Amino acid sequence: MAHDADVLTGAALSGNPEQYGHNLPLIDGNKSYSQVTAEVFAPTERRPPALWWIAIAITFSMLSLGAWAVFQTLTRGIGTWGLNRTVGWAFDITNFVFWVGIGHAGTLISAILFLFRQRWRTSINRAAEAMTLFAVMCAGTFPIIHMGRPWLAFWATPYPNSRGPLWVNFKSPLLWDVMAISTYFIISLTFWYIGLIPDLATQRDRAKTKLKRTVLSIFSLGWNGSNRTWSRYETVYMLLAGLSTPLVVSVHTIVSMDFATSVIPGWHATIFPPYFVAGAVFSGFAMVLTLMIIARKVMNLEEYITTRHLEAMTKVVLATGMIVGLAYATEFFTAWYSGNPYERYVFLNRALGPFAWAYWMMVGCNVLSPQFFWFRKVRTTPWMIFILSIFVNIGMWFERFVIIVTSLHRDYLPSSWAMYRPTFIEVAIFIGSFGLFFTLFLIFTRVLPMIAASEVKGVLKNAEH
Amino acid sequence: MPNTEHLRRSRFRASFADPDRLLFAVKHLRAAGHTVLDTYSPFPVHGMDEALGVRPSRLPRACLAFAALGLTLAFGFQIWSSAVDYPLRMGGKPLIALPAFIPVAFELTVLLAGLGVVASFFAVARMWPRLHVSDLHPGANDDRFILAAELAMDTQFSAVAADLDALGAVEMSLLVEDRLVKGASFWDRPAGAGALILACLPAFLLVASVPLFNRDFQKRNLAWDGGMGAPVSAQAFDASAVLRGGLVLQAPPPGTLSRSGAAPLAFAPGKTEAERAGRELINPYQPTQARFNRGKAMFERVCATCHGREGDNNGSVVVNRGAFAPTVLVSPLVRDMPDGRLFHIATYGGPMKMKGYGDLLSREDRWLVVLYIRELQKAAARPTSAPAVTPLPGGVQP
Ligand code: HEC
Repeated sequence: MAHDADVLTGAALSGNPEQYGHNLPLIDGNKSYSQVTAEVFAPTERRPPALWWIAIAITFSMLSLGAWAVFQTLTRGIGTWGLNRTVGWAFDITNFVFWVGIGHAGTLISAILFLFRQRWRTSINRAAEAMTLFAVMCAGTFPIIHMGRPWLAFWATPYPNSRGPLWVNFKSPLLWDVMAISTYFIISLTFWYIGLIPDLATQRDRAKTKLKRTVLSIFSLGWNGSNRTWSRYETVYMLLAGLSTPLVVSVHTIVSMDFATSVIPGWHATIFPPYFVAGAVFSGFAMVLTLMIIARKVMNLEEYITTRHLEAMTKVVLATGMIVGLAYATEFFTAWYSGNPYERYVFLNRALGPFAWAYWMMVGCNVLSPQFFWFRKVRTTPWMIFILSIFVNIGMWFERFVIIVTSLHRDYLPSSWAMYRPTFIEVAIFIGSFGLFFTLFLIFTRVLPMIAASEVKGVLKNAEH
Repeated sequence: MPNTEHLRRSRFRASFADPDRLLFAVKHLRAAGHTVLDTYSPFPVHGMDEALGVRPSRLPRACLAFAALGLTLAFGFQIWSSAVDYPLRMGGKPLIALPAFIPVAFELTVLLAGLGVVASFFAVARMWPRLHVSDLHPGANDDRFILAAELAMDTQFSAVAADLDALGAVEMSLLVEDRLVKGASFWDRPAGAGALILACLPAFLLVASVPLFNRDFQKRNLAWDGGMGAPVSAQAFDASAVLRGGLVLQAPPPGTLSRSGAAPLAFAPGKTEAERAGRELINPYQPTQARFNRGKAMFERVCATCHGREGDNNGSVVVNRGAFAPTVLVSPLVRDMPDGRLFHIATYGGPMKMKGYGDLLSREDRWLVVLYIRELQKAAARPTSAPAVTPLPGGVQP
């Protein structure tokens, strides 16, 4: 059976299709089913290599540094951060938006590409979904520690209490945010777990020790590969994909409303929701690329995560990068067209003011660097993709920093203008969030199958034809 | 419930290495009158549902039901809590601000729909943690495609085996022979347990809602006081472990301006600056009775404790406590100092001991004090040195 795209391009008819793009097999190496099982589960069954120990030692140190900094914040107070009365949100919320955005790629790959029947997603969706979960965990810590008294975080939930009939304010975007992020986390976790069950069963059947077998038996819920279960499973998977698709769009929309519903010049813009969603996909795919290029190399999964996968993702990065670039230009146009002196000033200040370096860093990384992906050579060379993906990660962090800090530090009253500079504690927490993210990811690669074996087996046959 | 018994026919199983062969075999066996119970495979084999005659799952309906439940609950709760139970106007929005309720309603709809459909899936597919899995073929989750079937009436397994062999089966076996089995009663099956739980649900909800209608807001909250109840408020003169200089009270940062609007003086403290002030400043205030009274009051309140009411060094601090004697204000030395210099001293203090009073006296008051010192000096210089308690101001305009 030929791919639809082959039919469209006529490549299938020519008899000698060019070995590029859609014509490349999804999985290299002409593998048999049992070979896929053996190779996918191998990392979870052998002892981790030295490289893994080195990596986790580094990420765990980063995590410890972050934990120390969080401890400092909680015991000494938010005064340990560089915030002031004018710039009340800076590093913390920047990091929050950054990490939430990263998470979006996982859902996009697992849900939206599933609905669009993009079968190349099968070898990366498991890892991308895990990345989503870990990124949302990192994101969640920031608003919570920003509260100063995180043990009271449950006050943000509507629970029956005896403080008069006191309920949370359902009209506040910050509350929407609480609901959106927690729903997103729960649904992503469920989706990921549902996808894992068949592989957990395989892992259970292969388990050598009793403990491992027991634990996996509990989590694989007695899965035996029955067709009746598969049939329902596929229905549920599709429903979850259908639910996650609007969910993922809603999450970053609501995150952007934290800003857009305020009256701060530079934030009060209707373009924010689509602009944020595109930015999230952009940064998320860059992060998936960064992770996958390392993982496929370190774990010898090059035949599963082929350059065809990488290339498809670079195209998404290129497209969303240009949407983001268009949004930057539109913001400037809107500011000028609004005729509002405050709006105009904020944008001039962004590009020419004291934080201009951050602004141009953002433009350079987000608008210019993806342009290299127009070249096929760049799109199919992993190390070039890797470098560019790092640039995009940096650029997208700066985008959030620019939006948050430059809009806040000079608003209406010049007497309240201020500058912001992060303290060591804030930087340490940020480093710590990377530590948390990579530590969890590294553990994940050794404990669970990083590739959805059952899904990959499903596309093997098609690749042969 | 009566227990029924029925005949269960022999069952067999066959495994294949390829999904297409399995699909073909299933179709073939069904056509031959056997009942294919189920197939087992490492990934879903497309077309198998039709081949097995499995009807499409009704889980989407469950999903829709849960979504509707989530939507209703979310809107209902938001309207109830923000318009009925706790009607508080915020941001000029109406109490029932439907557009503002959409985001939370949407999230809860998705949450309930997602969790609900997964829970229903686990329930109908009977998936729960199990240590022992029945019907498990070692290759089912690896690389084998297996079918389990019941023999058709009056057929021998050996005949089927030959067929299966021709269809490419890798392995086949007879599982059980014909036997009589007891039909389980309804209450023994999970459905029975589910029905029981459902029956108890209304009662449970009723009990759970009692506190909701019986709330006592006079009672203090049962909450762990995480520090909000007893804030540590610093007093102005307390020592502080965190603030600069170890004191709660902090000096205003350099360059801080007075809120009364007076522009800063263009003079620094020190004697040379005092002399410069003497050359450059002139008293902007002409003497009047009102200014005389004000200057006198300020002088007696601030300066007289040291310098004495007459400017003759007879102040209470000096006389009673034996403090360092200040300069005599009615002496020729001070009399010869220009107004600007006196003003500077009143502001920044004397050359050695005296502190400045710029912080206590407003700028106008300091000039008035200077005016008053001039009157004292005039009174002291009068030959009839019998000054009244209130010396008559010279040049006073009545
Ligand atoms: C706490 C005591 C004290 C008070 C109150 C005080 N003075 Fe003095 N004053 C002194 C002392 C002591 C001197 C001697 C010079 C020195 O030690 O600075 C002095 C000196 C002076 C001199 C002469 C400075 C020189 O250059 O020789 C003037 C003028 C003067 N005071 C004006 C005032 C005025 C005006 C006030 C009220 C605003 C005032 N003083 C309040 C203690 C005081």
